Amino acid sequence: MSKSAVRRLIAGYFLVFFGAIFLRIDYFPLSWVPMYGFREEAETLTVAVGDVDRRELGFAGLRANGERSFLSRRDINVPPANFRRLYQERAFGEGPPQHRRERAELAAFNQWWYERLIGPDPAKDADYPRDLLTSINRTFGLGPQDPRRFVQLEAHLDFATYTRAQLDSGDLLHPVRERRVAIITPTGTHYQRARIGG
Amino acid sequence: MADYHPSHRSAVDRFFFDWFSGETLGAVRLYFGIGLALYVLTQYPQLLILDQLGTEFHYTLPIWYFWQLGIDHNVPWLILPTLLATFVACLFFAFGKWTKPAIIAILIGIFYLKGVRDSFSGDVHHREVPIIAILTLFFLSKCERVWSLDARRKGFSPIEDWEGSWPIRAMQIYIVMFYFWALVAKLRVSGLFWFEGGGRVQETLVGRALRDGFGADGNVVNLSLGWELAQRPDLIFTFGIFVFLFELLIPLLLFVKDWRIRLVILAGAAFFHFSNFMLMNVQFYFYPFVFVAFFDMAKVHRWLKGKLRLRGVEAPSEITGD
Repeated sequence: MSKSAVRRLIAGYFLVFFGAIFLRIDYFPLSWVPMYGFREEAETLTVAVGDVDRRELGFAGLRANGERSFLSRRDINVPPANFRRLYQERAFGEGPPQHRRERAELAAFNQWWYERLIGPDPAKDADYPRDLLTSINRTFGLGPQDPRRFVQLEAHLDFATYTRAQLDSGDLLHPVRERRVAIITPTGTHYQRARIGG
Repeated sequence: MADYHPSHRSAVDRFFFDWFSGETLGAVRLYFGIGLALYVLTQYPQLLILDQLGTEFHYTLPIWYFWQLGIDHNVPWLILPTLLATFVACLFFAFGKWTKPAIIAILIGIFYLKGVRDSFSGDVHHREVPIIAILTLFFLSKCERVWSLDARRKGFSPIEDWEGSWPIRAMQIYIVMFYFWALVAKLRVSGLFWFEGGGRVQETLVGRALRDGFGADGNVVNLSLGWELAQRPDLIFTFGIFVFLFELLIPLLLFVKDWRIRLVILAGAAFFHFSNFMLMNVQFYFYPFVFVAFFDMAKVHRWLKGKLRLRGVEAPSEITGD
């Protein structure tokens, strides 16, 4: 390869890898932003307070035939970190970071190509709990008429909410705490909420 | 260890073609390949704890190319052979045996293993992004012709210095700009709000520390150091300023000729990645192995060999206590 060919090659290489940044492409192996590059403006911060023992038990499942059982990460054969995301994030309607930031502050041209080529905003369009239920039934080969199919999954989780003032002062020991139960069914997901503590 | 060879061509040509010698590319490939073999092992161990003959989970959010290829569930028994094959391919690449096919094998292995890891729940991690970009440059270069088993066996003629220099310089640009674009992205979508107060970092620290909850002793189960830091927004803000300056100024590293300065700056970057791991479990801790692209590894290799040989000679006297 001659030097002029190498010059063209380098230009093409960076056109692809850096062009993706200007086009806001976030499809591996191209990416425009680090995982934590986006911060949403909000007056409060709500985070999950996990419970390792509860998570180890897994989802409380109800089958169409009325049978009840727990579905742990070992039952569905998923790594612990992924199971944590399924249990603590997807079950409670939280998508992956990519979805939350994909359409944030898009330039007009990028908005255009995303809508034309990719489709609706996943952060608004996706139903993560339903996808989880579908995925679990497919994992066990349980079709829509199978009496052993799961018709309900439950996940239990506490949440802590901090005000901006608490975060700014570093006072993280006195959040507003809430216990939520996600009840996932084929027709939709609803959440039971109860405030806990003082 | 001066590794700058000026000439009279255009600035762009001098930048790409005059910086390193041909053999440096082979040495960078050797050390990058060994580092990559270890990096691969650090990225996918969580997949090995799965029951290899157990349930085949149907992905909730398959990565885009799995989606396109119709790969919608995990095949657990495929993970271990793929990981081993990828590891071996890294060593073949490092030592220059079937170098280009080895690169293709590594790419396939990483795409598959990453796809599996990220498709269970849909979080697409970025740890492999720079690796793919750098491997692409190795593939486009003549890296297989120097410092390789194939070159020794087949008697390849040595490559010219400019042929060894441009891929390394392109790698350097990619690596430094990876940090710079991270700053641009933050400012583009979140502005200075990303840094305000404890900033996004504090939010991540809190979320990460609490995600496994509290133990019986009242302390967080994991990442207690991150939890402590999360309660010091002033300190986080100070770190944030350092990160801001680092990401803003890191492109200047491309023009630093003194290897000692490069070493200090990149050691700082390595410390940054290690801290992120300790505080937030961000699994980039072994990523700094890519920094071998910033040094004349042929000279480093000779220096290391000299040190090891010297130690070998000295060893008997150390044992006898003379």
